[in-house]
Amino acid sequence: MVQINLPENSKIQKGKYYKDKTGSKNIRRVNIYRWDPSTDENPRIDTYEVDMDNCPSKVLDLLNKIKNEIDSSIAYRRSCSHGVCGSCAMNMDGKNGLACTKPHKEIKGDINIYPLPHLKVQKDLIGDLSVLYKQYQSVEPWLKNSKKDKNKENLQSIEDRSKLDGLYECIMCACCSTACPSYWWNGDKYLGPAVLLQAYRWIIDSRDEDRKERLKKVADELKLYRCHTIMNCTNACPKGLNPAKAIAEIKKMLVTG
Amino acid sequence: MKDKNPLSPHLQIYNWHISSLISISHRIIGIINIIIVTLICIWVAFLLLGSSNYEFVQNFFKTYFGKFLIVGTVWSFSFQILCEIRHLFWDLGFGFELKTSNISGILVIFGSIFLTILILGKNLIQ
Repeated sequence: MVQINLPENSKIQKGKYYKDKTGSKNIRRVNIYRWDPSTDENPRIDTYEVDMDNCPSKVLDLLNKIKNEIDSSIAYRRSCSHGVCGSCAMNMDGKNGLACTKPHKEIKGDINIYPLPHLKVQKDLIGDLSVLYKQYQSVEPWLKNSKKDKNKENLQSIEDRSKLDGLYECIMCACCSTACPSYWWNGDKYLGPAVLLQAYRWIIDSRDEDRKERLKKVADELKLYRCHTIMNCTNACPKGLNPAKAIAEIKKMLVTG
Repeated sequence: MKDKNPLSPHLQIYNWHISSLISISHRIIGIINIIIVTLICIWVAFLLLGSSNYEFVQNFFKTYFGKFLIVGTVWSFSFQILCEIRHLFWDLGFGFELKTSNISGILVIFGSIFLTILILGKNLIQ
């Protein structure tokens, strides 16, 4: 259900202020959402003054610098740092994205960093995505094909293959789903843009033989039709994909058969 | 997940885009339009009851609030119609590119103002 205000235990407090110690003239303030599961305190915003003369270009570099040089207690996920793994998805400057591909130069004023919106926080910038992964599992994201001959290649025409462009690139970083107000209010039932894009990726695959079943499964008032084309998903996608269009294609297929 | 874990901020921190702003206004104006249609029904019922009522309504529409209601009604219906047309295109699978959807969003906003002026025309100045 729509709950506009945060619950009592999630209200954000003012946190610590880390003054710059390097004496640099090129300083930026970075505000980071912090929550420590070992205490009973509410989340807080810590502010760090960072010397930008010795900081590489991306927001992830900025976080690494803070963790290495200022405050080692800060927690966030990261792995490949090249926009391929999707671990460092977070909310920067009011928009979801990958910290490793977002240049901090694009952000004006103070740099505000929050975890992905409307998730249970595990620590600092780490949100709990287990519901999303369960939903992903529910669309059975694997090829269903009855061909017995495992030694033969399963051919696909160039045309059919091109239908997967703009879908297979999805790295499941959850930027789109956690940007979607519909997913905020109905996240337990509505599948969300990320999972629906994945569902469509298997529905449209010419090698898959389970298309009808897949469509039938996803055709649900809550699972699919909570999408009201708000377009926050497409706006957020760090890979430039279009989940809103994928969802519309599913809806279209359901009507036209 | 335990209840202890806080919920990360959402509406409080998320930036508004043209598309999300229009989406929520479309919904709110949809509700407002239901109220407006009800008011129009009451107005018609009023007129059926005789000339004194006609005069009363006529005088009401001459007040600033009455004029505001007329302009507001025309605008909110224009806005909703344009939004619905935009949705029809989406339902056909067109206009999902970020640029196109932003342009169509701006068209809806300015189009609704343009339609309001077009419909009311010179009556607006009186």
